[in-house]
Amino acid sequence: MLAYEYIKCSNLQEALELLESNELVYPLAGGTDLFVGMRGGKFAPKKLLDIKNLNDLKVLAEDEQGITLGAAVTLNDIAEFAPVKKYIPILASGCRSVGSYMIRNRATLAGNICNASPAADTSAPLYCLNAVVNLVGPGGDRTIPVNEFFTGPGKNALKKGELVRSVTIPKPYPSGNGVYFKASRTGSVDLATVGVAVQSWGDQVKIAIGAVAPTPVRAISVEKEINENGEKDWAKAAALVKNDISPITDLRGSREYRYHIVEVLVRRGLEQTMGV
Amino acid sequence: MAECVKISFTVNGEQETRDAAVGQTLLSFIRDELHLTGTKSGCEIGECGACTVLLNGKPVNSCLVLAVELDGKDLVTIEAIAKDGKLDKIQQSFIDHAAFQCGYCTPGMIISTKALLERKENPTDDDINEALSGNLCRCGAYQEIRAAVKDAAKK
Repeated sequence: MLAYEYIKCSNLQEALELLESNELVYPLAGGTDLFVGMRGGKFAPKKLLDIKNLNDLKVLAEDEQGITLGAAVTLNDIAEFAPVKKYIPILASGCRSVGSYMIRNRATLAGNICNASPAADTSAPLYCLNAVVNLVGPGGDRTIPVNEFFTGPGKNALKKGELVRSVTIPKPYPSGNGVYFKASRTGSVDLATVGVAVQSWGDQVKIAIGAVAPTPVRAISVEKEINENGEKDWAKAAALVKNDISPITDLRGSREYRYHIVEVLVRRGLEQTMGV
Repeated sequence: MAECVKISFTVNGEQETRDAAVGQTLLSFIRDELHLTGTKSGCEIGECGACTVLLNGKPVNSCLVLAVELDGKDLVTIEAIAKDGKLDKIQQSFIDHAAFQCGYCTPGMIISTKALLERKENPTDDDINEALSGNLCRCGAYQEIRAAVKDAAKK
């Protein structure tokens, strides 16, 4: 049994003050990464700050700005939220690729990006949707694009004392289909060997890939070939993806395998979203 | 000795107030404090599903929940699935289809199935695969388990 203090906060201000106090205070939402990390010795908090019950973080709503996903909302609740299913099903697909059904009843989207694994299943869809991360901290609120939130493996742009308040998917929503493909060793409960999101925006496309670089990345070379140069041969366009990624070999797959499978999945994603 | 917190909750329909040690998992609390040992301990990192319980009606891995988080919540474990000495239709289907060998994963499988059938009366193969995606069976009784779930849905 690990020794730490457990604090259940009733308002956001109180939570922020505790976070800022100069101790090892860790926010606890779903705990599905945090507890596993603590057991493995990766994290050793002195205090756990339970933020699940903060009303400010429980927002799950759509308005004229877009869709707001509060930091305490679970992945299953996001995947079942009607506007997500209707307008941005690629994100529902990303959410449903994380862990298992039970994990997703606890795990949050904010936690998935804060953990900042380059393989985070929600990240590639968020990159394709121009998602913005709303942060709150001692200096007030600030907003950054999701691609600037990931700064390295396990590293994010949060400053000391800051929390993710929510993630917003701004309007306009994509006008075409989107798919998220996850290659992994088992059908579920495994991190992505690679994760590929392809989202059509009319005749334009956005592509993002996880687990092939220190952070998730956009496949800029492929996008440019299609969006600017008008390439319609998806296999030719997909072959350019090697310029956008720098995969490593690890227990989930070799560098060579990742180069190979990413190209296949990008081509398949283009076929399914941009027409054959 | 770790610090304790008083928590109030319902377990299998009964209101309870207990002391929970900070740092104790819900899984350990269920087995060692409530003495409900039908919930099994497997991997303790959320990968095997042997410890699945219903928390406010939703299946979760009790190894990844703290006992103190149970405060104010409703907990259902495998012990409450049979009613008045009569097996639930899911339990009977698992027996009818021999949907286990060693049986260690079975409480978790049945809890996940219970939650699935509450959400979906007639689950498809995809629904079953998704709902049971976090329940590992090392004997490999998956085909029988899927048949049992489908059969239970029809009853």
